[in-house]
Amino acid sequence: MVIALSRRLLHAALLLLALSVFSFSLLHLLPGDFAELLLIEQMDGDLPDQATLDRFKATHGFDQPLWQQYSIWLERALLGNLGLSFRTEDPVAEELTLRLAATAQLAAAGLAIGVLLGAGLGVAAAVRPGSLVDHAAMGLAVVGMALPNFWVGLLAILFFSVTLGWLPVAGYGHLANLVLPAVVIGTSLAGVIARLVRACLLEEFGADYVRTANAKGASRSRVIWRHAVPNALVPMVALIGLQVCKLFDGVVVVETVFAWPGIGRLLVESVLGRDFPVIQGCVLLIGGISVLTALVADCLVMAIDPRIRGAV
Amino acid sequence: MAGLAGLVGLVGLVLVGPALAPNDPSEIRFSQRLIEPGAVFPLGTDHLGRCVLSRLLHGLQVTPVAAVTVVALSAGIGSAIGLAAGYTGGWLDRLAMRITDGILIFPAVAMAMVVASLIGIGLTGTIVSLAVVHWAEYARLVRTMILAERAKPYELAARALGAGPIRILVIHLLPNILSAVVVLATVSLAWAILSFSGLSFLGLGAEPGAAEWGRMIADGRTHMRTHPHLVIVPGLAIALFVLAVNLLGDVSASRQGYASPRAKRPPSRKSRKKE
Repeated sequence: MVIALSRRLLHAALLLLALSVFSFSLLHLLPGDFAELLLIEQMDGDLPDQATLDRFKATHGFDQPLWQQYSIWLERALLGNLGLSFRTEDPVAEELTLRLAATAQLAAAGLAIGVLLGAGLGVAAAVRPGSLVDHAAMGLAVVGMALPNFWVGLLAILFFSVTLGWLPVAGYGHLANLVLPAVVIGTSLAGVIARLVRACLLEEFGADYVRTANAKGASRSRVIWRHAVPNALVPMVALIGLQVCKLFDGVVVVETVFAWPGIGRLLVESVLGRDFPVIQGCVLLIGGISVLTALVADCLVMAIDPRIRGAV
Repeated sequence: MAGLAGLVGLVGLVLVGPALAPNDPSEIRFSQRLIEPGAVFPLGTDHLGRCVLSRLLHGLQVTPVAAVTVVALSAGIGSAIGLAAGYTGGWLDRLAMRITDGILIFPAVAMAMVVASLIGIGLTGTIVSLAVVHWAEYARLVRTMILAERAKPYELAARALGAGPIRILVIHLLPNILSAVVVLATVSLAWAILSFSGLSFLGLGAEPGAAEWGRMIADGRTHMRTHPHLVIVPGLAIALFVLAVNLLGDVSASRQGYASPRAKRPPSRKSRKKE
């Protein structure tokens, strides 16, 4: 258990290291001299002469070997200094903290809706395979996975905000603002989760131990909830964990549609505006959260299934 | 057969679609802005007076073609890496799998945006970026399949007959795993269409003014209240196309026996412990 856990932690640490190298190299992989680019940016578009450029490089350490620049950058990043935005000249770290709160609200609400709805539909479908409920749930899942979520978001605005006038069109700050974006993220997640839950449960229903439990006269609900579900939980948690890591893809688009001031919209703005310090910060934050989510999912799997503890 | 007919139908639609357009998709007519659907413009015009139906039909050769390119690139790169890793094994295999594991946990579209910020946010840059984040899916699948195939007697027989590693890989092993790659390709084609049109909606991908479905939605958004069909129609096009690709994938998967791997007899306790 301890060995498996520490190996998993080592993997996560290596992944974070690779992520930091990727984020650092974003500026250095740019075509052309990035120090010059930075300087042009700071001088509002004027082309610097060679002497100014050399002095700029010397004061900011850009003339040092790359690994030294990396270690300085990493040290600063760990202390919470991610540089200044090219566009607004605000500290990147402050901007990220502000935005993270908004994204966390949206992601948590969307995740809750997605998991509850998806698991409910999946169990209902698996309990009676081939039934009307099953066909309806799986049909909804298939259609749901084919719909682009930015389009669903716009349709939701059209219907619930413009036509019915029930909810605000876009914005941030009130609970009413949260409803539509969270539901859009949640429903797009629910389709995938419902299919996963159904597949995992159906596999368990075919197992010998379920037949044995049935033969011994255990009630239907006992077979499902005490025998099959705990066993299906292991692949379910692993697969849902992977989906949660990918949750951010939907958040980017939905935040843009609903003018939600979160990390996703910040990423879109900074990519379109070529604001590399902000992109670097977003990569570190989003990637770091993904690594941690995967780690938590693996630990959950280990906690649920004692057989896996030695093997991960 | 249904799968083949569907495939031919989809490809035909992509090839013929633009020819069916009633008007020039990019001709700007300021005097005929935001016209309601009628005889000359069956689906009306957009905010620049361009024929919506014509743009929709020409869009058949933008997003689907871009998505096919993404799939071809990632399938090519990923399969090559998966083949090499699975067949050679050892440290190369371990390294390749660590890298794919790492890539697979990150949100792909967000990372594609970051890569695109480096190599360019236009059409080519976005296609390459999506492939850069997507190849790992293929590498992982191909590597697993190769591990299973190379343990079979025919590989040993081919080796005993003196076939070299390249010949074994390409002539003997590859044809046996190709059907699995094709099934993954249909799934990832649907993903690529949704991702590419999503990125175009955000302002990456297709160039401004291009007849791309995601960008049409972004353009129509400002006039959504008065002319909702400008948003509804291109979205429907995306959804129907993705749905068709998904159904095609289901058909080909079930034909090849991949439809319900979980519905088969569950593995015994013994084999499960090894995982």
